[in-house]
Amino acid sequence: MGTHAPILAIAVPLLGGFATPLVARISRVLRDFWVFAIALFVAVCVGFVAAQVFAHGVTVYVLGGRTPQETLAPGAFPIRIMLTVDGMSAFMGLIAGLLALVAFPFALRFIPEEEGKTLSFTLSLLLLAGIVGLAYTGDLFNFFVFLEVTSIAACGLIGFRTWTSRAPEAAFKTMLLYALSGLFFLMAVAFLYGEYGALNLAFLSRQLRGSALDRVALALFLSGLLLKVAAAPLHFWAPDAYGEAPAAKTLLLVVNTQVSLYGLWRILFTLYGGVLDAGVGWLVVAMGLLTMVVAAVMAVGQQDLGRLVAYGAVSQIGYMMLGVGVGLVTLAGRPDYALVALKGGVFHMLNDALTVGLLFLCVGAVEWVRGTRDLGELGGLGHGLPEVALFFLLASLALAGIPPLNGFASKILIYHGSFQLSPILTAVAVLASILLLAVFARAFQGVFLGPRVEVKPELPWSFLIPMIVSAVGIVVLGLVPGFFLEQVVTPAAEALWRGRHLYLAAVLGG
Amino acid sequence: MRPEESIQLITGQGYWTPLLWMAAALGTLLLAFLFWSRGRRGYKRGTEQDLPFVSGEKVENPRLAATHLYWGFAEALRPVLRRLGAWHSGVVNDYAAWFVVILAVIFLLIMV
Repeated sequence: MGTHAPILAIAVPLLGGFATPLVARISRVLRDFWVFAIALFVAVCVGFVAAQVFAHGVTVYVLGGRTPQETLAPGAFPIRIMLTVDGMSAFMGLIAGLLALVAFPFALRFIPEEEGKTLSFTLSLLLLAGIVGLAYTGDLFNFFVFLEVTSIAACGLIGFRTWTSRAPEAAFKTMLLYALSGLFFLMAVAFLYGEYGALNLAFLSRQLRGSALDRVALALFLSGLLLKVAAAPLHFWAPDAYGEAPAAKTLLLVVNTQVSLYGLWRILFTLYGGVLDAGVGWLVVAMGLLTMVVAAVMAVGQQDLGRLVAYGAVSQIGYMMLGVGVGLVTLAGRPDYALVALKGGVFHMLNDALTVGLLFLCVGAVEWVRGTRDLGELGGLGHGLPEVALFFLLASLALAGIPPLNGFASKILIYHGSFQLSPILTAVAVLASILLLAVFARAFQGVFLGPRVEVKPELPWSFLIPMIVSAVGIVVLGLVPGFFLEQVVTPAAEALWRGRHLYLAAVLGG
Repeated sequence: MRPEESIQLITGQGYWTPLLWMAAALGTLLLAFLFWSRGRRGYKRGTEQDLPFVSGEKVENPRLAATHLYWGFAEALRPVLRRLGAWHSGVVNDYAAWFVVILAVIFLLIMV
């Protein structure tokens, strides 16, 4: 199984997702077990792949060759479908596996049977397969295919509550913008294929010379992926999408956005790593700053708890962009600080997945108990749901970057890295965090404090266990940041920073 | 990897260790407890002292909604929120128009 773990992490949820309605026909209990078993299997596979990559370097898996390691066809040309997993891909796969383990058990009780639970699991498994596929693929056309798989499944989940007016509208808007994103990405792939006659990422990376056509393709890649990562001012779809999808599924949507961000880093660092100039880095920095500020300010005016958390989630994308953008700008001149900023941006992906994930789980629990997310109607829930109040507070503090929680650990790296480029960047990032702290303190007061209200029914364990796992993750990552930075984040950041030649050599040799 | 390295975070300009922060937080909490313990002891639960007042007025329904908190802060941000809210129009045509604007900026940046 070990050799085939990369492809199994994609194929099992893909086929398992389509088989879920058939399993549900036999028994609903069996279906729940089936879905959880697939999520667990994917988590084990991505964990195994990560361990292998962190220990031995880039792993390549070829489909259609005599062996999974036969990367080149006769003529030394990489024509086969290929999965290429380096430190960054493995890290992204780990995030997907971890969030799947949290999201699927929570959904077991959260979505009622009459609301189409089976269909929601099918879409979730397809989304999971697409996310892992995006993280692992070493081929631009398959990247596009997985981008579309994630888009279709995500839109299905966003518009899942068809009986409401807002969910289908949010799904429609997201679908249209995702289609634009996919279209521009495909055009970029077509330009490169027309110029070089290849789709393999490593091969193209070695061929790119920075011609006018290469730069047109880069502009198309950037525009398509910046739309999908919800970078301001292209973020408008994200609060609608996050706010309207069932809370248990929003976790997967957050990972979907993160894997698009991963795609952006892969294009910039690996594909264009040899010909990129600092101007693109500045664009990423500028859009990152705009994203964190605009989303934090917009969160101030929200009346819906789900949308408020959604804006908080969008603002965190800005921090990741700032960290990695600073890394791009300073890569040539100040490589030591580039690595610090890069580590911060990459570490924040993991921290954001846990904190935003926990916040959405809390939103789901509140909605499940009270049937509303309107901040004007909620209050006093802390008496009946003390554990949810504690988790919400913990995740809010982590999101705002309050020590000693995990959000602070990654943000301090981003602050110190960006300070070297310009203190103004750090000042803006800190101000956005303070604004977020105020917004989430207000939400906590409005939802959990105040006179006691009766809470029925009690929260099931399938809600509490995923919340406990996320909360423990937030605390542990905050208390022993050095360990996780060294073991998981540094291999991922170094894969972007100076791992390009290793990525290329693993596929093309030399 | 040594145990202290697991906790420490080297940032390039210094280091961060949660243990030191927790020690400082514990000290601050102890100080706060000291001040609190020296306060007046006349408070009795369930008496008139428990009655809620908002801005000095006795109120029937004491619940403060989230919208009441930071009212002045949100009010001061109102002009910015109005402008940003207009951008978040909910009309997908506007969102596509923003995409065209950013596309133009990216092309200018990369091609020129």
